[in-house]
Amino acid sequence: MAEHSLDHSLDARHARQIGLPAIFAAFFWLGITSFGGGTAGWLYREIIQRRHWITDEEFLSAAGLSHIMPGSGGVNLTVQVGLRLRGGPGAVAAVFGLLSGPLVIVLALAVGYARIGKSATIHAVLDGVAAGAIGLTFATGLKLVRFSRANPVPLAVTVATVACVGVLRWPLIPVVLCLAPVSIGLGLLKRRGGNA
Amino acid sequence: MPDDIRTLLALTLVFVPLSLFSLGGGTALLAEIEHQSVTVHGWTTQREFADLFAISRAAPGPGTMLSALIGWKAAGLPGALTATLALYFPSSLLVYGGVRLWGRWRGSLWYTAIERGLAPIAAGLILSGGVAVLRASPGAPAIWVAVIVSTALIMYFPRLHPLILFTAGGALFGLADAIGLW
Repeated sequence: MAEHSLDHSLDARHARQIGLPAIFAAFFWLGITSFGGGTAGWLYREIIQRRHWITDEEFLSAAGLSHIMPGSGGVNLTVQVGLRLRGGPGAVAAVFGLLSGPLVIVLALAVGYARIGKSATIHAVLDGVAAGAIGLTFATGLKLVRFSRANPVPLAVTVATVACVGVLRWPLIPVVLCLAPVSIGLGLLKRRGGNA
Repeated sequence: MPDDIRTLLALTLVFVPLSLFSLGGGTALLAEIEHQSVTVHGWTTQREFADLFAISRAAPGPGTMLSALIGWKAAGLPGALTATLALYFPSSLLVYGGVRLWGRWRGSLWYTAIERGLAPIAAGLILSGGVAVLRASPGAPAIWVAVIVSTALIMYFPRLHPLILFTAGGALFGLADAIGLW
């Protein structure tokens, strides 16, 4: 039954024939309009709500996976949507569509910066932009912490991560390799304990 | 080996491993990217790093375009393309593989444990990223105040568009400089 409905939805998708240029174009538009990060939210609006290319359920499943995988959440989602629409080539078209516009824009800004970057006013303007962007970064991290407030273990892991990487400036990869098994193990223990 | 090839290789060797450890997205890598490009390889000064960070956040798209700017500073256009590919390709390939296993794992004890276990590390890495950029910036008291105010604004008004905040910050600081407040 489940297999049958899967086949059915795939058939429907083939019938709709979303071509590679259309995929590239949609994600190109998404790339140049998704300001301020949070690509996942913009993707939901453009691809699911506006174009109905995948279902809500497919989106949630993809968002879940992109959450536990390394990499930018927005790019990970884009890979999965491309895959579902057109397989491997679809994923390539979607990712290149998403990244090519912002890449050109950011390089154009950087070339402009190289020309006029010596000006004190430009430094001041960029400091102001950076202050806002750092605030956005802290707010994102703090929102994630808020979810674990009731539990001291995740909070301790977050504090340990900030101490090692942020304050002591230890290299990220060994820190993650040490903390991840501890954090996952403690979670498992707690769950086992809770079930018993 | 010519120097530019060596730089491209160095960029690849920095960004490929980071790609596989960017829990919580590119923001989680800020601290390590700052360390690698300022201290280890000298691709940018602290001042340039802070500026490039601001530029990367003012542009649209996934916020990790900072890697392209570091690559551009290190080795021009080939450097920008190399750094971008090195940062996005490995993690994308991993997702491609993950999709196949995902159906079986989802909802399992292990999956939930991994999801819950990695979330606080991702939060810690993102906060460390904020600390790293703050450290690279000139660190004037006005910047600290602006960072605290923006953090609070986004926490309490989640619907506030970040671009409005960036523009306001840039305009305020630019104006203060122009009229000689500091």
